[in-house]
Amino acid sequence: MKTTAVNPKVAQRILIAAQLLALLQLVLALNFLLNTTGGTLFLFASFGPLLVLAAIALMVGVGIYKYRQSHHLFDMETYSPGEVIVRQEEAGVCAYFIQDGQVEVVRNEQGKDQVIATLGKDEYFGEMALLSNAPRNATVRALKETRVAALGKENFVRLLAVMPATKESVLQTVQARAKEVAAGQ
Amino acid sequence: MARFLTYPTIAWFFLQTAGFAEEDARVKAFHTDPVDVWGQRFLIATICLGIAILLFNLFKNRGTTGGPASWALLAAGVALVPLMATGIGTLLVFERAEHVQFCESCHITMQSFVNDMRDPKSESLAAVHFKNKFIPDDQCYDCHTSYGMFGTVEAKMAGMEDVYKYFTRTWSNPISMREPYPNHDCLKCHAESALWLKHDEHIAARDDLFADKMKCLDCHGADHPAHPESVRKVVAAR
Repeated sequence: MKTTAVNPKVAQRILIAAQLLALLQLVLALNFLLNTTGGTLFLFASFGPLLVLAAIALMVGVGIYKYRQSHHLFDMETYSPGEVIVRQEEAGVCAYFIQDGQVEVVRNEQGKDQVIATLGKDEYFGEMALLSNAPRNATVRALKETRVAALGKENFVRLLAVMPATKESVLQTVQARAKEVAAGQ
Repeated sequence: MARFLTYPTIAWFFLQTAGFAEEDARVKAFHTDPVDVWGQRFLIATICLGIAILLFNLFKNRGTTGGPASWALLAAGVALVPLMATGIGTLLVFERAEHVQFCESCHITMQSFVNDMRDPKSESLAAVHFKNKFIPDDQCYDCHTSYGMFGTVEAKMAGMEDVYKYFTRTWSNPISMREPYPNHDCLKCHAESALWLKHDEHIAARDDLFADKMKCLDCHGADHPAHPESVRKVVAAR
């Protein structure tokens, strides 16, 4: 199963690690500058460039990954029964269009899971987080073998911009779903 | 409260660092190397800027990226400023690796050679050169580096290898040169100087000396022993 969404916490930790590596390199440079000996020179001249390269590689890697995430263009993905497609409280990266199968939308309120909707072929989910920039407000889990087409945030927003009728339809759906969520609370 | 204490603490750290650097520059005001002084200043400024950006980004964004501004800050802190620090720092590496104090910092292997050089009673070539003060500074580097750009590069690469061996304790005893001391490292200063031409032996052997067929150290040996006793032994053997 190919998944579009990397765990945002992993990306966050990688970026923190990259910044710490860069900080360490600067500390080595400062150490060499204030106390120039063979040891400090060796550490700065040999490990310094490696730390910088590693930090840049991590940062670029996360950047490329995030760019590719937000620019998915109907990548087809298949989920087995019980697999989670989107998780509540995670950042929204893609909208999903169900090609085949069935999913359930589950919301966790005060530790209790509540199924608020079941979606099937030709329906879609995950659009609310893309439009509001808020975290996912529910978990979506496959009930059967489900095939979805993932559309990245950038392409989703662009699609709505060039197709006003689609935008209108999506906004109506978003409003209806928001009312359902509010009613469930 | 944490923010109230953090920023003044960081500012104090930077001022102390800059103060140390300036103090160091003032102490050596008699013969300052402008490349060293200005390189040091730029590097301090770059390091302070880099640390400030990274700490600000870590505390404010905590590894998240919101838009172009946060990515720009991240790129500056992770890539741009550390690369600048690496570039300026490499320049200072080349500068400072030439100082005698730097050679001396490898205490186990090099201290005795530097002690011999500075010993006013020693008659080794290094000590004689040091006493004469014809090489005002960086005596180790001046004699152990060949002429021209590639001489410098070669010396630096060999130096890095020596540093590596020192810190991994993989050097072999007795400590000796990689290859015989080349004549041109003597002749780059001494060749056909008035004092050199004064001696008929030099005139007679000039072609061989210049072609490195005959070594300067064949006659002028005991160039740089770790212990002065070995100088007397070699002289006595002749």
